Amino acid sequence: MENLVIEETKYTPKINLDAQKGLIELTGKSYPENTFEFYKPMMDWAEEYFNANDLPKTIINFEIIYFNSSSSKLFFDFFDLIEEMSNKGKYIEIYWRYDPDNDSALEAGEDFKEDFEKLNFKLEEK
Amino acid sequence: MDITKLEDFLDDSGIVFLSYGGMLTQDLISNMTDALEKEAEKNNVSMSASTNIFTIFVELSQNMMNYSKSRAENNEKFDPKGLVLVGYNNEDNSYYVLSRNVIDVIDKEKILPKLEELETMDRDQVKKRYRELRRSGLDKHNKGAGIGFLEISKRCDSIDYKFTQISEHKYQFMFQANIINKQKQ
Repeated sequence: MENLVIEETKYTPKINLDAQKGLIELTGKSYPENTFEFYKPMMDWAEEYFNANDLPKTIINFEIIYFNSSSSKLFFDFFDLIEEMSNKGKYIEIYWRYDPDNDSALEAGEDFKEDFEKLNFKLEEK
Repeated sequence: MDITKLEDFLDDSGIVFLSYGGMLTQDLISNMTDALEKEAEKNNVSMSASTNIFTIFVELSQNMMNYSKSRAENNEKFDPKGLVLVGYNNEDNSYYVLSRNVIDVIDKEKILPKLEELETMDRDQVKKRYRELRRSGLDKHNKGAGIGFLEISKRCDSIDYKFTQISEHKYQFMFQANIINKQKQ
């Protein structure tokens, strides 16, 4: 399966999806104009990856400085997919990385962690 | 035009950033957010307050942009002129993000109950409703999750708003979010 890399812009994060390493990484800001359209390739990739791949472990790194409300919904839908895959027996670790001075990023991570209790969701200071 | 009058006014009102004009675009919004980031850095705004200011600024600007665009797509006669500004209030070391644009009465009827409800909610209730709606996707539409005003409420200390009727079917909609610049202990 092919990897997918989307370079960072002023309003969208760098997205690094590596099927060989079992790595999903998002770094930067997220406030695209058409959020659901922008993230569709990532969502499609993730679905195909989990269905096709049988790596023992997948690591997901989220390092999002700030984001708009539609991105918040999209991330929720993404973690929902991850939960579904985890229920199917995939081993997945999620790292929500935040700057210790950025209370909102920490709070956002705490909310996701609570919303997805069954996931291996870790909050990690940068 | 006497530009110093405008400058004096901006200085006196503590306005650090202002945009007024026609159709907002995503490029314009991201360039303005960029400029805001530089302002925040220069003025020693705490990271928490500044990320909240950026998020609210983006949320309000994108609201206005999407609203203008949906009007234009319907070929409606519409004045896309909008105002968005960020100001500083010396008295309580707070920042505010203010937006103002023209909306139809039909949209006022949609927005007003949401805002009235927000006013009755405390912080925990706002967070709870935000997460409920994010999970259910009940208010989701093609551009967003319909949780923008909740996102803003979560990230500020207080809100103000005002609808002013300007014609039979049109209102000026003013919205303001206030963010206290708390420094980390």
